[in-house]
Amino acid sequence: MAKLWAVIKREYLERVRTKWFIISTVFGPLLLTALMVLPAMMTVRNMRDAKLSKMEILDVTGNDLGAKIAARLTGPMADTGVITVRALDVAALASAEEEALARVQSKDIAGYLVLDSGTVAGRSARYAGRNASSTGEMDGIESAIRAVVLNDRLEREGLDPVRIQQLTQTRVQLATERITDKGRGGSGTGSQILGFMVAFLLYMMLILYGQNILRSVLEEKTTRVAEVIVASVKPDILLAGKVFGVAAVSLTQQVVWILSGVLLWRFRGPLLAKAGAGEMPPIPFPEVGVGVLLLFVAFFLFGFLFYAALFAAAGATVNSDQDAQQAAQPVTLLLVASIIFVQPIMMAPSNTMAQVMSWLPFSAPIIMPLRMAVVPVSPLELGLVLAGLLLSCIAAIWFASRIYRVGLLMYGKRPTLRELSRWVMQS
Amino acid sequence: MTDLAVDIRGISKRYAEHVAVRDLTLQVPRGAVYGLLGPNGAGKTTSIRMLLNIIAPDTGSVTILGRPNTDVAVLDRLGYLPEERGLYKKMEVRRLLVFLAELKGLSPREAERRIDGWLERLSLKTPDKDWGKSKVDELSRGMQQKVQFIGTLLHDPELVILDEPFSGLDPINAQALKDTVVELKRQGKTVIFSTHLMDNAERLCDSVCIIAKGEKVLDGTVSGVKAAAGDRTVALAFAGGVNAAVAAVLADRSLVAHADDQNRFVEVELAAGAEPQRLLERLMQTGAQIERFERVHPSLHKIFLEKVGATGIEAGMSGHG
Repeated sequence: MAKLWAVIKREYLERVRTKWFIISTVFGPLLLTALMVLPAMMTVRNMRDAKLSKMEILDVTGNDLGAKIAARLTGPMADTGVITVRALDVAALASAEEEALARVQSKDIAGYLVLDSGTVAGRSARYAGRNASSTGEMDGIESAIRAVVLNDRLEREGLDPVRIQQLTQTRVQLATERITDKGRGGSGTGSQILGFMVAFLLYMMLILYGQNILRSVLEEKTTRVAEVIVASVKPDILLAGKVFGVAAVSLTQQVVWILSGVLLWRFRGPLLAKAGAGEMPPIPFPEVGVGVLLLFVAFFLFGFLFYAALFAAAGATVNSDQDAQQAAQPVTLLLVASIIFVQPIMMAPSNTMAQVMSWLPFSAPIIMPLRMAVVPVSPLELGLVLAGLLLSCIAAIWFASRIYRVGLLMYGKRPTLRELSRWVMQS
Repeated sequence: MTDLAVDIRGISKRYAEHVAVRDLTLQVPRGAVYGLLGPNGAGKTTSIRMLLNIIAPDTGSVTILGRPNTDVAVLDRLGYLPEERGLYKKMEVRRLLVFLAELKGLSPREAERRIDGWLERLSLKTPDKDWGKSKVDELSRGMQQKVQFIGTLLHDPELVILDEPFSGLDPINAQALKDTVVELKRQGKTVIFSTHLMDNAERLCDSVCIIAKGEKVLDGTVSGVKAAAGDRTVALAFAGGVNAAVAAVLADRSLVAHADDQNRFVEVELAAGAEPQRLLERLMQTGAQIERFERVHPSLHKIFLEKVGATGIEAGMSGHG
């Protein structure tokens, strides 16, 4: 149908030509890179900084535990003045703590560590300082204490220090692998990230372009373009053209984003290394079959049509931007409700809540791809959910076109729910 | 093949609070220039929207060019200029016009071909500046109206419907619009326009329909309507204007039922049984220098006021009509 095509073409081309689209399409991947690289860089920075905080060790253990810990923390270049160790009697501890406290307050040192008989027994040690809430530093100190206490014990059992070194040195990394009905497939982490990305991408697209559709319907109403168009084609065609056109725009954007995302994933090692993050355990890219990819696209399209139709209907009921925000709220709420459950469902993708959320038409487009990526879902279930989603889609479009037809030429105050239901029934 | 361009049978539209149009029936012959007259809020725009099937009437039917207006194909054969101009503000003029033409079933290539001619004709494209390449919101209001007008006519419609086309036009553009309407009629097209400006209607229309408060007050050819209103009207003009003596004569209710001073001339309605000859005699006795004494049909303006006044114009309605 040539006229539907004309509407789709206009909706698509006018959007793709905007600066907003070009900027967000280009900067989306950059933002993604930043999101991936920056936290890694920050963590690395923090880990380095942890070793640089000046501190005092108050050692009342009676052996040289404090010195060993200091050596372990500062590494081979001991005695750089970063860590000072004071071996004390238990009786002198209170006054030494006072002095250390004063030094912390005068910003001479960042904090002080107290080692006592509890430390030797392997139970406790105390740290007080300005940087006490820095997880990286505290973890470093804690593991140093543990290692030194362990070494100390082993030494007392008569083991040779070199032998101890050999025995305690372990670098275990847990490699995870997902097993599905078809056998092994990629890593667990990989599919989790993929599932989360797909869900989040859908959510973002629906929110962004849903609002976009809403505003464009509103614009047609307020500029009275709607009247000109409706004198040429049926409102249903305008609605359909708008929804399909905008869906195509967002697909275009996603193809760009996903392609750059895949490239990023592939070259993530070198990229992170360049950023100074050092060697990271490689996360193999989850193997995604063509079938799964098609399913993702299907869920996206159905979800998009469902929400786009609802947003368009909301836009047709209002005449101003303020009203539009309000009218969009119920629709946005459905979306937000779905995304809130992403985290819990990722943790427990097989429980009842996860299943129900992946069946409901309003949350299925976001939750089902997530579940699919994390746990196997039977083809029967997938088929049923897709069919249900398709039906809901048709219902939403039917419902929206009714409201759209009447609302498009209604000016003045916002209709009440009762009036809305009359619009749906009448037309 | 019927010789009616539009055949409206008993259409009504009721909204929650009021009746916008009640049982409206009218026929527009092919090739006519037809005026839909009425004060603001009379139901002109609602009638036009029902005619175009933009909104569905509660009752009645509309036939356009021999086909029911629910037939989408027939919409391709008419052009519509809405009362409030509707253009995408951020779109390039040329692309917008192509889009509007495509909605009427024209191919993009054919539309492109025709656009240049129209832009040049309405001086939107000159050797130094092609406004077709500008965005709509860079154009002045008058230029936007021209763009809308091109959008209405680009697909060469057989029936052109203009809702309040004269509102907000300066004299030059109003003249251009009149010329275009005459040109369309010459090409055998049918033109329907709504207005509350009686002068335009009287000069341009072959037939008119006056509606008020959603109901038809009268319709017919302009000459028929005027003839039916009688020839008891005299147009008078005096050198130096109306003096006291003349005013006294015009105030004589045995002679003059109603005098409407139009500044350049006075439109006088004779009292029942009064002879125009007698009025002339009395006026000559005053010694005033008579420049014009002409028995005329009442102006559409006067008929309108009379008829609509009888139905009752709501307070605060347009002073134009």
